[in-house]
Amino acid sequence: MIVEAVLAVTLTGALLVAVGPDRYAAKLATVVSVLPLAGSLWMWTEYAGEGNALLESGEVAFQTTVEWLTLGQYTLQWYVGVDGISLPLLVLTTVLTTLALVSSWTPIDERQSQFYGLMLLLETALIGVFVSLDFFLWFVFWEGVLIPMYFLIAVWGGPRRKYAAIKFLVYTNIASLIMFAGLFALIFGLGDSITTLSLPEITQAVLADELGSFAGLEPDTLKMFAFFLLFLGFAVKVPLVPFHTWLPDAHVEAPTPVSVMLAGVLLKMGTYALLRFNFTMLPDVAADYALLIAAFGVVSVIYGAVLALAQRDMKRIVAYSSISSMGYVIIGLIAYTPHGLGGATFQMISHGLISGLLFMTVGVIYNATHTRMVGDMSGLANRMPWTVGIFITGAFGYMGLPLMSGFAAEVLVFIGAFQTSVVPAAPLLTALSMFGIVIVAGYLLWAMQQTLFGSFELETDYEIGPAPIHDVASIGVLLGLVVLLGVAPDLIYETIQDGVNPLVDFAGAALTGGA
Amino acid sequence: MMGTTALTTLAGTATVPQFISLATKDVFKLAPAIALFPLASFFISLFLGKRMPKGGALAGIAATIASLALSVWLVIELAIGGGTYQETLYTFVGGASDSAVVEHTGVELTFGLLIDPLAALMLVIVSLISLLVHLFSLGYMNDEGETGLPRYYAGLGLFTFSMLAFVYSDNLLMAFVFFELVGVCSYLLIGFWFREDAPPSAAKKAFLITRFGDYFFLIGVVAIFATFGTTAFAGENSFVTMAADGLNPDVAAEGIDTPGVSEDTWFTVLGLLVLGGVVGKSAQFPLHTWLPDAMEGPTPVSALIHAATMVAAGVYLVARMYGFFALLPTVLAVIALIGGFTALFAATMALVKQELKQVLAYSTISQYGYMMLALGGGGYVAGVFHLTTHAIFKALLFLGAGSVIIAMHHNENMWEMGGLKDRMPVTYATFLAGSLALAGIFPFAGFWSKDEVLFETLAHGLGGSPILLIAYGFGALAVVLTGLYTFRMVFLTFHGEPRTDTAEDPETVGWSVKLPLVVLGVLSVVGGVLNMGVLKDIIGESNLFLHEWLDGATMDTDLGALSASHYSEVLEADYGAGYEVTDLSPLGPGVVALVFAVVGVGAAWYLYSGADPEPKMTRLGRVRTVLLRNYYQDEYQAWLATGLTLPFSRIADKFDRGLIDGIVNGIGTVSMVVGRQFRQIQTGVVTNYAALLAFSLLLLLFAFGFVGGWF
Repeated sequence: MIVEAVLAVTLTGALLVAVGPDRYAAKLATVVSVLPLAGSLWMWTEYAGEGNALLESGEVAFQTTVEWLTLGQYTLQWYVGVDGISLPLLVLTTVLTTLALVSSWTPIDERQSQFYGLMLLLETALIGVFVSLDFFLWFVFWEGVLIPMYFLIAVWGGPRRKYAAIKFLVYTNIASLIMFAGLFALIFGLGDSITTLSLPEITQAVLADELGSFAGLEPDTLKMFAFFLLFLGFAVKVPLVPFHTWLPDAHVEAPTPVSVMLAGVLLKMGTYALLRFNFTMLPDVAADYALLIAAFGVVSVIYGAVLALAQRDMKRIVAYSSISSMGYVIIGLIAYTPHGLGGATFQMISHGLISGLLFMTVGVIYNATHTRMVGDMSGLANRMPWTVGIFITGAFGYMGLPLMSGFAAEVLVFIGAFQTSVVPAAPLLTALSMFGIVIVAGYLLWAMQQTLFGSFELETDYEIGPAPIHDVASIGVLLGLVVLLGVAPDLIYETIQDGVNPLVDFAGAALTGGA
Repeated sequence: MMGTTALTTLAGTATVPQFISLATKDVFKLAPAIALFPLASFFISLFLGKRMPKGGALAGIAATIASLALSVWLVIELAIGGGTYQETLYTFVGGASDSAVVEHTGVELTFGLLIDPLAALMLVIVSLISLLVHLFSLGYMNDEGETGLPRYYAGLGLFTFSMLAFVYSDNLLMAFVFFELVGVCSYLLIGFWFREDAPPSAAKKAFLITRFGDYFFLIGVVAIFATFGTTAFAGENSFVTMAADGLNPDVAAEGIDTPGVSEDTWFTVLGLLVLGGVVGKSAQFPLHTWLPDAMEGPTPVSALIHAATMVAAGVYLVARMYGFFALLPTVLAVIALIGGFTALFAATMALVKQELKQVLAYSTISQYGYMMLALGGGGYVAGVFHLTTHAIFKALLFLGAGSVIIAMHHNENMWEMGGLKDRMPVTYATFLAGSLALAGIFPFAGFWSKDEVLFETLAHGLGGSPILLIAYGFGALAVVLTGLYTFRMVFLTFHGEPRTDTAEDPETVGWSVKLPLVVLGVLSVVGGVLNMGVLKDIIGESNLFLHEWLDGATMDTDLGALSASHYSEVLEADYGAGYEVTDLSPLGPGVVALVFAVVGVGAAWYLYSGADPEPKMTRLGRVRTVLLRNYYQDEYQAWLATGLTLPFSRIADKFDRGLIDGIVNGIGTVSMVVGRQFRQIQTGVVTNYAALLAFSLLLLLFAFGFVGGWF
């Protein structure tokens, strides 16, 4: 029942905050968000699940199954629970939401009650995505994320907020539609062999080769078709090059706390879904197209990083580098090795924290300077020493500095990807993608040198001083988490491994010829 | 006792009374503290430095004293008969009981200590230099009224911690971790004066270029892990031993996974990949360009970077996994060639520099070239020896330069100095000792080590390796230039008449500056005693202390695969590098090298020793310009970054916004336009709808008919 409690309390909080007065909205929302945070941390400590939720031997933790309604032959269920893959993402969501709410205190100064209400609504939907194990339910939450996100960008965003919000909504919605079609191709192909739309049931039926033909397509073609549609749908969310152009626009226009949620959690919905659907349900198709998929990853890494080099807006820099970082997730996932899948999932968490940290820090600087453009200012270290110190450390974290979470994630992905026999020429592709760690150093060091160092220069009619303590505290906490996970990746990596290993056993062994 | 693995555990010492056990092998239990003390001083200086006297310097000094004491204790322990010590301290990944990671991969990623004579020696060097740098900083930073001292001392602490941890890492992954941290620390310290424009730029350059090298290194680490399933340096299951077994036809090797190429080819690739990191960190051609710029950092930091930490890390890594490199003749040849070439190349640039620290910077590049030359040429002991003596005399020279810079009110141009020898006698005497050592003049420390470097390369080269002979030629030629640029520097700075008012009346320096100079000065004079290889035939091999030390001769247990003699065996083995040694007396080559050095010094004396020396290098004309511009190395590298990569990224950006996003927006526009068109159909007039229906039906019929083959 803890899952329901977390969802209910967040949703109720969202409504309460939305109808309450603006004056108390910020603090109230922050207090409310501590409840799901505490709930998820409690789940973390009490977690006793085992294996992968979608596969046969998996024991789902905190599971509830309630029959909801019947639709033709299918029973729709309220079916929630977590495993080693979804639990870390759930905790990431609650942690980032609370910190993002704190970081909203300074910049959000109009329509607070609606803003904070929508933020909590967003959190509810995100939690729902990670805990749902029934397709229908999952899809409701998946689409539910879009609504608050749309308004958060369209109402509180920058000058081109309408354009960015519509682009985000239409792009990801079309992607959802394509993905929906993909999954329904599978569901119809399965015919009578399933009676519910629960994800474990669908997965296990597909894996047990119960797929029949549908609409004149042979099972193998159907699988390929479904994989293709699902991949396309999720690739927009990740986003993979060339489906990425909504992301920089959305990031630039969104207010900082929304950017934090967008980069920190929303992108992970894409990779999470890829892992759950494409890579768990259809491993044989994935293996057939391994080279292509890995190439998507490599291109995203390098292309995203090269684009980041050309940017002046610090938010755009972090946005493009997010594309680059998510490329590593794809490279890890397709490897189907323990460190590949595990490292990729770890990278989701790590990137959530680090990109959140960088967006927040850029936001703190923006609150003071009202510009994010490299070249508009210099020497900020003179005025905001602690913020800048955290920025520098966080940027090094983004570059994959050892003993910070990014290094642990990337090195595990590299090890996993290098060794795989699923992807042809894996060592070469891995080495190629690793060049991202040089380019990322290039653009971040350049941006830091331009903005943070040198003599202080910025035309303002007010004095720029140190950031408010709560802003510094929230980025400090994030930095602490990044370092903690970098020094002791085992804190979450064991749980993740427990979740992905059945997949390695099942799919990996089959794909690599029982090795 | 333990066979070839030479690893002793501490089991069984529990019965020994506490005070005795502390005096014996339990010093190993304290070994982690060698690195942790400076880490503690990092935190103390960073957070409490403002409230402490001297801005946190005292914490750093206390920490490095403790580290030095423990390191010396370790050396004594090994010298009076301990064994090497290896222990896993921390499991990075896969540490949980019944770990899911280990269950599936069979491997943990761990951090641990490997303390053998090489590591112990390096620990002493690093903690000693760091201590002296801390002391010197009291005079250079505190007394000069610098701000940001807590940040400075925190940086020194983190730097020392990272380097010490790197030095006794027991596996390559951990070594990489601290290798990178060393890079970040140098970024932070080179850019210490962040309010000016040049230091942040230099810091960026240093990090980027070494990152470029580390990119290859990281591929190497990952590839080595994928190939051998381990990155351990020592022991039966280390990648070094496994690689040797893999190449040795007499041994059956298991568990080596090469991606479809022969083992020696693949190992060569691995060796070259790791070498990328070495070339970056140790500032070897063509990744040396960051180092001269790094002079923007405070001078004590330069001393630390050049003598004991950042730059030393690269060469030390080669020595650390020498058992692996010794298997790979191609890689060794590359190392020797890069080293010899860099030694000569950097020395030519040092000839024309006007700033004191610039001369020293290029001499550092050149001297690390010698170490690479030695290691590539099969002289493991020689390489380590030169690393040791260079650490001492280069730290001395930098600190001496720092003393001069204080005296000259931060003017570094040697042409505005002159005559300082009478005005700062302690600095002069010690700087002279360091210079004689650098130039390789008998009997100063550098003479012995540089001769050994050249001798080993020559001996192996004459054994049938023309590449080594070429590399030796580079190295020998560089000896002349070293003598010339070193004494050009000495004469211009200290001799003759003062050329400016500041030189006439320099600022005085305090004891915190002089004490480190004296300590290092004495060591520069006597350091050669460690290994008087040139006199090998006279004093006997057993009195080559460093050689005996690195061979584990003083220890109870066999040093095994980590010993210098094992490395020689591998070098000479058919499955290894296949080097052959000629029976050559070191005396002859030693005399030759000394003559070369004296020629260089003599030339400097002839050109610059007068009361009022003139710029002589101007006679080189265009050549001088090329040298002053560093062979345009910086230009082409800057062009690669800003002339090639940046425009390319801008084009990619245009492509992205124009074409890819253009398509997305285009689809949006098309659907909007189409939508608008279709809206016009909705006229509300029933007859129109009826007509449309009829028309559509006809169209459908026609279409079905066409597909169905009715026509």
